[in-house]
Amino acid sequence: MEEIVSGLIQELRRGTLILLVLSQTQSPTYGYHLVRTFHENQIPIDANTLYPLLRRLEAQGLLKSQWDTGESKPRKYYQITQEGKRVLEQTKAYWKQFSAKVDAMLEEEL
Amino acid sequence: MNQDLMERYIYAVTKELPKKQRGDVAQELRGLIDDMLTERCEGRTPEEKDVRIILTELGSPRELYSKYAEDGEKCLIGQPHYSTYIFVLKIVLASGAAGITLVSLLLQMLEPQGWLQAAGDWLSMLWNVLVSAFTFVTLLFAFFYHREIPIDNPLNFDDLPMVPKRRQEISKGDCVAGMVLCVIFAALFLGTPQLICAYMGDTGEWIPIFQTEEIRRSWHLILVFSACGIAGEAVKLIQGQYNKTVLVTVGATNLISALASVWLLAGRDLMNPYFTAEIAQIFQGDAGFLTGIFSNFQYFFLCVILFALVLDTVIAAERTFRT
Repeated sequence: MEEIVSGLIQELRRGTLILLVLSQTQSPTYGYHLVRTFHENQIPIDANTLYPLLRRLEAQGLLKSQWDTGESKPRKYYQITQEGKRVLEQTKAYWKQFSAKVDAMLEEEL
Repeated sequence: MNQDLMERYIYAVTKELPKKQRGDVAQELRGLIDDMLTERCEGRTPEEKDVRIILTELGSPRELYSKYAEDGEKCLIGQPHYSTYIFVLKIVLASGAAGITLVSLLLQMLEPQGWLQAAGDWLSMLWNVLVSAFTFVTLLFAFFYHREIPIDNPLNFDDLPMVPKRRQEISKGDCVAGMVLCVIFAALFLGTPQLICAYMGDTGEWIPIFQTEEIRRSWHLILVFSACGIAGEAVKLIQGQYNKTVLVTVGATNLISALASVWLLAGRDLMNPYFTAEIAQIFQGDAGFLTGIFSNFQYFFLCVILFALVLDTVIAAERTFRT
């Protein structure tokens, strides 16, 4: 039972997190900063989920990255690409409609 | 000390990643762990305990590695072939073990030796056969998987397979029986060829038809024959119905089997000279049909095999194109 719930929640989160990551990389951001931003917004994400995800999005061409070696420790900064912005716009529009309808339907159920 | 533990962790995560990602991921993880430590310790110097807590939070190196490697999905045999692979593997290994055990028992009856020796022979034969069978089936399915022999992956509705007509369906049981026969055939033919013998009415003796040693010397041809049979049945099992893929495979494996049989039976003298002599004596002077068959038994045997292979191919073709 608990396993089923956690599996379902993971599935629900998977796509949504990508949407959020894309939305939070309008300006160059490094991984741990994102972890904290998510935490502050009460949508915690594990670093071990986020870091591989950032790489995957980069490989898909939705993010680009650059090492900043100027500071005390080198950091990799990620930023959304033009392609990523187009993807974000479309999926965001879909999400808004979809989540509103899901909410409405779930209310009806009650 | 801290550094050491962290570096060992990072090494464990990255060592199996593609070479060009390795350095980059390692550098990024170093930064991440450092950030996490800074936040956790709030100004004091991190101790090894802190590093351990943070690494625990990140999960086992294996787990983290698989998250980085996720998109590749590189494997030797994946779904949907994996289930069929396991199924075929079980059948081939089980019938291989059964075949070897049967052969060992028969050998012990024909040429008795000490039980300890017999058990040792049985174990070593069993090991050899199971390892080769495992290798063969694994390579076969790895080939299917990477060649993407389509099971059902219709990108286009017109490519959807037809609902099989009654006679186009291939029963799972037939495929299993076919594979078991192939394995048992190979085991018997290689292990105890002396069992293929003829009863001589006048002397009341059983005489082996073939020369045991000659047959054993041609083990590779017999294995090719048997392997072709298993490969053909595996493709039938995957497809589940007669279609062009099945027909092409059956045609190709039967052709290879035919070549192996010709090489085995037409190229050399496999007949037991005692058997030939007995036959000549029995049919003395009588130049009838039976004499012809028995004195050319090797070629007669070849003809029977070739006929069976052609028949099998024709049946597959008929089922495939049947409307």
